[in-house]
Amino acid sequence: MSVAAGRFIGQSVKRKEDPRLVTGHGTYVDDVTLPGMLHAAFLRSDVARARITAIDTAAAKALDGVRAVLTAADLNGTVRGPMLPTLFADGAQGPSAPIKPLAGDDVRFVGDPIALVIADSRYVAEDACDLIEVDYEILDPIVDFETAAASAELVHPELGSNVGSTMATPPDESLDAAFAGAAHVVSETFHQHRHANVPMETRGIVAAFDRYTGDLRVWMSSQNPHEVRMCCARILGMPENKVRVTQSDVGGGFGQKYFMPRDEMVVVLAAHLLGRPIKWIEDRRENLLASNHARTDKADVSMAVDADGHFLAARIDHLEDSGAFPSGGTGGTGVFVALLFPGPYRVAKLGWSTTAVWTNTCGRGAYRGPWMFETVAREQLVDVVARQIGIDPLELRRRNVIARDELPYASPGGMVFDNVSPAETLEQAAALIGYDEFRSAQAAARAEGRHLGIGLGLYIEPQAGMGPLGVEAAGLRVEPSGTVDVFLGSGSHGQSLETTMAQIVAEHLGVHVDSVVVHQGDTDVAPFGGGTGGSRSGPFLSAAARQASLQIREKAILIAAHLLEAAPDDLDLADGVIAVAGSPTRSVTLADVAKTAYLGSDGLPPGMEPGLEVVTRYKAPMVTYSNACHACTCEVDIDTGRVTLLRYVVSEDCGSMINPMVVEGQIAGGVAQGIGGVLYEHMVYDDAGNPLTATFMDYLLPTAAEIPMIDYGHIETPGITPGSHKGMGEGGAIGAPPAVFNAVADALAPLGVKLTRQPLTPSALVAAIESAGASRSR
Amino acid sequence: MKPAPFEYHRPDTVAEAVTVLAAHGDEAKPLAGGQSLVPMLALRLARFEHLVDVNFVDELVGIDRADGWLRIGAMTRQAAVERDAVVAADAPLLARATPLIGHFQIRNRGTIGGSLAHADPASEYPAVAVALGAEVEIAAAGGSRTVAAADFFLGTWTTALADGELLTAVRLPVWSGRCGFAIEEMARRLGDFALAGAAVAIRLNDADDGVAAAGIGLFGVGPTPVKARRAEAALVAGERHPAEIGRLAMADADPTDDVHATAGYRTRVGAHLVARAVERALAEARGGQR
Repeated sequence: MSVAAGRFIGQSVKRKEDPRLVTGHGTYVDDVTLPGMLHAAFLRSDVARARITAIDTAAAKALDGVRAVLTAADLNGTVRGPMLPTLFADGAQGPSAPIKPLAGDDVRFVGDPIALVIADSRYVAEDACDLIEVDYEILDPIVDFETAAASAELVHPELGSNVGSTMATPPDESLDAAFAGAAHVVSETFHQHRHANVPMETRGIVAAFDRYTGDLRVWMSSQNPHEVRMCCARILGMPENKVRVTQSDVGGGFGQKYFMPRDEMVVVLAAHLLGRPIKWIEDRRENLLASNHARTDKADVSMAVDADGHFLAARIDHLEDSGAFPSGGTGGTGVFVALLFPGPYRVAKLGWSTTAVWTNTCGRGAYRGPWMFETVAREQLVDVVARQIGIDPLELRRRNVIARDELPYASPGGMVFDNVSPAETLEQAAALIGYDEFRSAQAAARAEGRHLGIGLGLYIEPQAGMGPLGVEAAGLRVEPSGTVDVFLGSGSHGQSLETTMAQIVAEHLGVHVDSVVVHQGDTDVAPFGGGTGGSRSGPFLSAAARQASLQIREKAILIAAHLLEAAPDDLDLADGVIAVAGSPTRSVTLADVAKTAYLGSDGLPPGMEPGLEVVTRYKAPMVTYSNACHACTCEVDIDTGRVTLLRYVVSEDCGSMINPMVVEGQIAGGVAQGIGGVLYEHMVYDDAGNPLTATFMDYLLPTAAEIPMIDYGHIETPGITPGSHKGMGEGGAIGAPPAVFNAVADALAPLGVKLTRQPLTPSALVAAIESAGASRSR
Repeated sequence: MKPAPFEYHRPDTVAEAVTVLAAHGDEAKPLAGGQSLVPMLALRLARFEHLVDVNFVDELVGIDRADGWLRIGAMTRQAAVERDAVVAADAPLLARATPLIGHFQIRNRGTIGGSLAHADPASEYPAVAVALGAEVEIAAAGGSRTVAAADFFLGTWTTALADGELLTAVRLPVWSGRCGFAIEEMARRLGDFALAGAAVAIRLNDADDGVAAAGIGLFGVGPTPVKARRAEAALVAGERHPAEIGRLAMADADPTDDVHATAGYRTRVGAHLVARAVERALAEARGGQR
């Protein structure tokens, strides 16, 4: 099934943003310089949990070039509203960690901000940080999230418990009966370790408050400028229309920049207090230790399976580490981990629980596929089931995957999957990677003492369309010259929206893509929008842009019909020209129509409102689904634990592709993050809560040398949004971890090696091989 | 990540450099390629009141062969070592170790003297130096001296260089005759510091396949590069079983745990890498006269 490509939609149009970005001429927040601008640096806690008994800032204040040294005593009293995302600010979403601007009485993680130094340069600001003396009374930290709930020590004493949230299904006798009566019950406990988002551009903000106009001007590296605007207005007690936020070029966020982080709020408070423009650019060490972290999950999972390998029931008991100050609510993703756990398989019954605990570590935040642990836990469990009952993992998936003729399929997690193709992507991925041939090659290699493995990762990815996530806006203006300006409610932080949304407009309006300019990320220019995240821009923002284009197209044709004295139904708009079908000489240009609309309104059809511009909003369905299957092969050197990825394929279905090159680019980036997560990246704390991996020497990102070439297969099952586009931004990072993990586990399974924890470092693999008694002696 | 204030000096000669270094004692540090020192300054893990930039001291650059030794000036870039025909011919172990250092951008700036003076125990050049029996030349205001590589490395980032001294060159003996060389390392990613590694040089007798001389330098398995003397002696004494040579080599090592690997991993994999490198070096030596 596929959707026919249009003139612009479905074409790999080259990115409009690339000429400036790849030549180093983008405008990131650090490129913003204002007259009289000062520079900020944070003094952060270097202990995980302690009472602060004294802070001495005298020497720092005395340093030449220092303009202010702000502590909790100076700043915390200036906050006028909750320092929470708008979604949580009313407290209705359950308890939030008690966030204050600066740590005053105590510190709760290494990186907790204690003081903000404002100086003439960042160098001086950091010199001054060195001169601040903080006396700590060290307390025992809660570092291990698996024992946090039972700890007598509390991360947030004012909340009375280390458990931030917990939910579970009620007792279910039919579920118990399904497990009791099953031919096989396979259980395992999986852990996924702590990651960091690591956007190429760290966080940063420039904030300027004009005391005379009462205007606050903010430039910020953000995924969500309107949320930043609401947040600034709330914490300062200012009218929202006195705040302007600009998100210009953004070097990635992956969820880290979706809400307004605490540090940026502190800078805004300081800029308001001092009345001077302040720039704070997060450095890489701060980004690694004090921006939000991600993942850090554990689950006990079970699958009841009949004698023929059919899944009967599933259970997941999930625990997540929220850190001290999670971004965007505590435990918000655990429910999705539970509900999505059965995934693209026929599973009749599901039982689950999920708990989120606070620890004295950096707070958890969204990271590309925030609930993707459901796919990790399920796909890894499926492979364990396959091994235990003696069915090949591909065959086991074939027996259980939801087929197209079963759609819509009501999953036991309460979701109704439709317009998805998990069975087709499974087959396409298996064919692309040459699954059967690989099994033969694997057997031959094993006979030579080499250890090859293959892994699959199959999933359905929801795009939430509820509440503020379900509305996207686009403005469109045809200028008198016929050029087209588009104003997006949500902006790109790397998703290529500047290009893909221009393709949407060009296609549906009937102009060339080069005549469309996309404006985004400025609250004074863009209509209100929900920000970019959750793989929503492809399906939802495109629907808004399409809607705006069609409305303007319709109006342009009505005006043209009036000018040409033709029937609107006989007219077509293509390449900026409106012509009578069959007689191309009877035509007017879109520019002629626009000129009439603005400058010659007497020539408009009677009663028509002048102008050729619109702002429209699209309300999305509650949820839409895309799906994909990843397959990966690897070789493991059992002497060194080195994993070499041999081939990697992704078969995906995001409906109609707006731009196949962008789709594949998004997948590649996500796959690289998934591979990095399984094999290289690990944010490590010691028992005292000290981060041990706060530089790129220790927090290892995959480089081009570690990522294999990726082959892609596309299946285009139309979605239910108007353009049939489905979200796919997060999927690469969702499918890759279990595919890589399963491949390594498959390679080592014949040696009796059992893997349940990431990351699969050489050291961890050699230890697992050794403990299985399978080491090779020379 | 901005360095603390420092005073910057830019001498043009070794004499000027050592004069400045002498004037400031332990408050001064030479700046070579900067690939390790500059990040440490930016993270404020290292602080010096005075940085003495020796990048403009031309006499510190160059590769010369004389009297059976190869002399490489301290400020010779790793990229130059990597491409040099004399190095490839007379110090193949050094030539083969060089591409394993970081990435090419790093090697374009990084210098051989900087690598040795920085003395990261997981880096390649110090291990090659102890394997081959190299010497380092050191200048100071009061005169110069030469120190054997085996005596130069005292601990992690610690060497025999005293305050006021500047490493000016490394001298590598040219191993001639029936020789074989191999370097093996295990790093997490391409270009990372090694979790464990071994640099091996072997010379066979002209008359038979007995080992006339063996040099084994280990890296990533202790606070300094390790000269695996027991394994070297065993090879000369006729031991040929690779696993036993690996075991003996690791008996001289002192690996520790860190976030990347356990000491046990380093011991196990280090022995494996020694065995693999010794096998390769022996095979090359048997293959013909150099």
